[in-house]
Amino acid sequence: MEHAAGETEPAPGDRVRVERDGVTDEGVLMPSSDEERLVLKLDGGYNVGVDREPATVEVVDADVYDVGTTESEPGTRSEIDFETELPRIALISTGGTIASTVDYRTGAVTAQFDAEDVLRAVPDLAGRANYCGRVVANILSENMEPPIWQELADCVAEEIERGADGVVVMHGTDTMQYSAAALSFVLDTPVPVVFTGSQRSADRPSSDNVVNAVCAVEAAKSDCAEVLVCMHADESDDGCALHRGTRVRKNHTSRRDAFETVGGDPLGRVDYEPGDVTVRLREDVTYDSREFDLGSGIEVEREETTSRSVSTEPALNPNVELVKFTPGMDPAALDYLDGTDGVVIEGTGLGHVHTDLIPRFAELVDDGTTVVMTSQCLEGRVCDRVYDTGRDLLDAGVIEAGDTLPGTAKVKLMWALANCDDEASVAELMRRDLAGELTEESQPWR
Amino acid sequence: MTDRSYDELGLVAGLEIHQQLDTETKLFCESPTELRDPEAATRTFTRYLHPTKSELGEIDEAALEESQVDREFEYLAYDTTCLVEEDDEPPGRVDEEALDVSIQIAELLDAAVVDEIQVMRKIVIDGSNTSGFQRSMLVARGGEIQTSDGPVGIEDLMLEEESAQKVAETDAGVRYSLDRLGIPLVEIGTAPDIRTPTQAKEAAQRIGTLLRSTGSVRRGLGTIRQDVNVSIADGARVEIKGVQALDQIDEIVELECDRQVALVEIAAELSERGASVGEPTDVTDVFAETDSGVIAGALDDGGAVSAVRLAGFDGLVGREIQPDRRLGTELSDHAKRAGAGGLFHTDELPAYGVTQAEVDELRAAVDAGPEDAVVLVADDPSVATDAAEAAAERAATAIEGVPEETRGANDDGTTRYLRPLPGAARLYPETDVPPVEPDAEEVPVPEVLDEKAERYTREFDLDDALAEQVAFGRRWPLFEELVDGGVDPTLAATTLESTLTELRRDDVPVDRLDDEAIGGTLELVADDELAREGIEETLTTLADDPSLSPSDAVEAAGLTGVDEDEVREAVVEVVERNEAQVAEEGMAAFSGLMGEAMGALRGKADGDLVSDVLREEIQRRA
Repeated sequence: MEHAAGETEPAPGDRVRVERDGVTDEGVLMPSSDEERLVLKLDGGYNVGVDREPATVEVVDADVYDVGTTESEPGTRSEIDFETELPRIALISTGGTIASTVDYRTGAVTAQFDAEDVLRAVPDLAGRANYCGRVVANILSENMEPPIWQELADCVAEEIERGADGVVVMHGTDTMQYSAAALSFVLDTPVPVVFTGSQRSADRPSSDNVVNAVCAVEAAKSDCAEVLVCMHADESDDGCALHRGTRVRKNHTSRRDAFETVGGDPLGRVDYEPGDVTVRLREDVTYDSREFDLGSGIEVEREETTSRSVSTEPALNPNVELVKFTPGMDPAALDYLDGTDGVVIEGTGLGHVHTDLIPRFAELVDDGTTVVMTSQCLEGRVCDRVYDTGRDLLDAGVIEAGDTLPGTAKVKLMWALANCDDEASVAELMRRDLAGELTEESQPWR
Repeated sequence: MTDRSYDELGLVAGLEIHQQLDTETKLFCESPTELRDPEAATRTFTRYLHPTKSELGEIDEAALEESQVDREFEYLAYDTTCLVEEDDEPPGRVDEEALDVSIQIAELLDAAVVDEIQVMRKIVIDGSNTSGFQRSMLVARGGEIQTSDGPVGIEDLMLEEESAQKVAETDAGVRYSLDRLGIPLVEIGTAPDIRTPTQAKEAAQRIGTLLRSTGSVRRGLGTIRQDVNVSIADGARVEIKGVQALDQIDEIVELECDRQVALVEIAAELSERGASVGEPTDVTDVFAETDSGVIAGALDDGGAVSAVRLAGFDGLVGREIQPDRRLGTELSDHAKRAGAGGLFHTDELPAYGVTQAEVDELRAAVDAGPEDAVVLVADDPSVATDAAEAAAERAATAIEGVPEETRGANDDGTTRYLRPLPGAARLYPETDVPPVEPDAEEVPVPEVLDEKAERYTREFDLDDALAEQVAFGRRWPLFEELVDGGVDPTLAATTLESTLTELRRDDVPVDRLDDEAIGGTLELVADDELAREGIEETLTTLADDPSLSPSDAVEAAGLTGVDEDEVREAVVEVVERNEAQVAEEGMAAFSGLMGEAMGALRGKADGDLVSDVLREEIQRRA
């Protein structure tokens, strides 16, 4: 690449003229340029790539556009009040598509907004509540890790103690179900803790972020003191389903209505129309409700921290693996399980693995690993008393997790191992319902 | 005003041509490019759209104006559409076929293909794109076409996705059909090099010819749309959208010149008069007892009448600026945009049931003197005020001159106000689709249709008119394929152009004949399995039952298996029936009997064979 005499190296934001093979392009240099190519934004608004090698570049006007990006650092906290009588909702951000924009370096969509920017991105939230914004992390949810669940739980607890009447956690959709499950076990919450996100990026006018965020805030003002996931109920923008944090699963890669309650119906629904948003909680299911009245008495209740007590048991043992058994599995694939404190098996059917693998699991149990069985059927409960394979697994010391979802079982086992003193009580916890993750009787129509 | 000097007016015009491509699949998914009947929809869903900041942090003015109402959009989906059209799945890679065709078009326009194509999002929030943006990419820039009035530069060539078709306006918003969404579309923008209305038309025709030369563009109503940018020296840039008929372009440009000239004159007069525009005033009381159906109707529904004094406007609001369109019509367009049904102005009153006494009272209510005009809107109270204000804003602009704006083409060549001009800031990168490195050298340059016509005359000995008909028609790719396959060029050309036209005139549903049906039929002739005379009947049979193969159709029409013996038998019968004539006239009876013999054989036999046999039989008796 040649520069016209006396010119400085062109920088992103400069207006440049590029000549190559007799064709001249003039526009603003974009940061997505790389070694081989310049990316120009032409006056019509189009970006084009021009090969650097044979081109002559001349800076016409330096620094005409600010193309820099702003990142919000984790740890920031801010408050926005509309009217004093409105409930206070904590907006806790962990990153994800609900508040994301273009990354010029990779050209990909990444999370870059802090929780306050969410209000700017979703103006429809204004006036529904008073908000405080917290940024716990700014990560894509595939990069989520158990220590961040703990930080998140601490942050949620802190905001509830400070007087939040409800919490909305903005989270990437990929691992939202795991984080929601983690908080379900870690937190005993007196207010709704509502996870939401978006399947279609916030940088498009059609993003599901507006409907999801508005419905999540309304759900956070409701009477359901549970950890919930609030995402589109169907492909229309007419409302969201409220899923229990331990029974929810992302069942589609891209659709708005990817999240579903497995083995039952959602706990409720938020109907959405601009100017008319209604939360409808089901009356025929049990869930924890608020220990205080969210209405006229809010100010009084805020003084009385005892009635809005939140407790956390944030300890987690991360030394737990989830393994999926499939035909043809090499027994050597189980070698890395040596020394783990817990293993959740995603078995076939009622909860099976190849007969030849059973001794391997028996060995793990003997070495002190807690081994839990779930099913890759997802729907239905594990029952290892029906076939020989199952009976052999039980004899080997494998614990049945009922109809607990495999991912939820992994999170639960992390929590159980960290919070129980002995093996027997871990086993007992895994067979019992703690946070709606395991039903006592199979009634999937509920 | 056809003899006006456009040079003196300072006419500057440019074109934007949008042409749908005839590809197998859509631009960003594997759905077919088939258009559907809304009745065939299998599912529906609804969405809202929310405006977004663009890449450089600006929100487009046009996009914002459209977003002011929370409109609900309903979409019809089909068994031929997928999650990509529903904006529920990321788009696939750019369709290669569409890319190749657009590169061919770039070559025909003499434009330079870019090194790397970047897909952009163009914000469109009227609901016609489920995503809220149209994906568009700059493929080439800097070309040129020739017209008899000189060259016209090509600024850019874009490949983009077609929007969804509006099916209906509903109470809540708009209903769209997803079948059209995602069909590849090229957009060609010329430089503002056009100086006369006829040059505008010629340039559009030339671009149309080049597009059809690819053999891969869709034909028929709505598959090509022309936008025209027009300005005169003292006027302003006006973008006229959606001109459907090519031969209307010169008229549109002429009428826009008329409009701008008239608006410039009005502005001069208004300035001279020291004109100004007032604020909306409630004048409902004036019309409490009115006989005007429109106003009384609005008031009965709880409405109000809002009026604005236009000081110094008397006589000018009613001045015609285009056939049957006045300055008042422009004010009305803005009032309609604000939600009203329309407006009245004092230049047209008393009329429509409004009395002179009411006009006097109205003038008094807004302090209007005889040199002033008053516009009024009767509607729901807030709509009436907004609409009166919108009309007043437009009136204020009339004092300045011609406003820059986007206008829509009407069928009669006039135009109506649509929205402000779109800004350049409404594009930002489509990060879901990786950039493409086009390889222009891999794509062969197509032959331009006029060169093609000349070649047909030269190579195949077609007469000029027929050659041109084939080359500029939609079936030349089939014609070339048939000739390559050994079908006689003249037979192929006459079948494709005259025979099909004749059949259509006889109400045969020829649209149901695909290339296979027509080609297969002509191949049977080339292989001597069907007489030329049987072509019409075979095609008619195929059109009636498109499930048949050409040879099945020949059989079904009873056109098979006539050998020389059967021909002779039929000919002998004809000759014997006309024994006297043959005896008397000898060979002179030939042409009359030939027709009869062919009729008897009903196209089953080859004409040459019948002719030979008939000649022999006549000779034998003469």
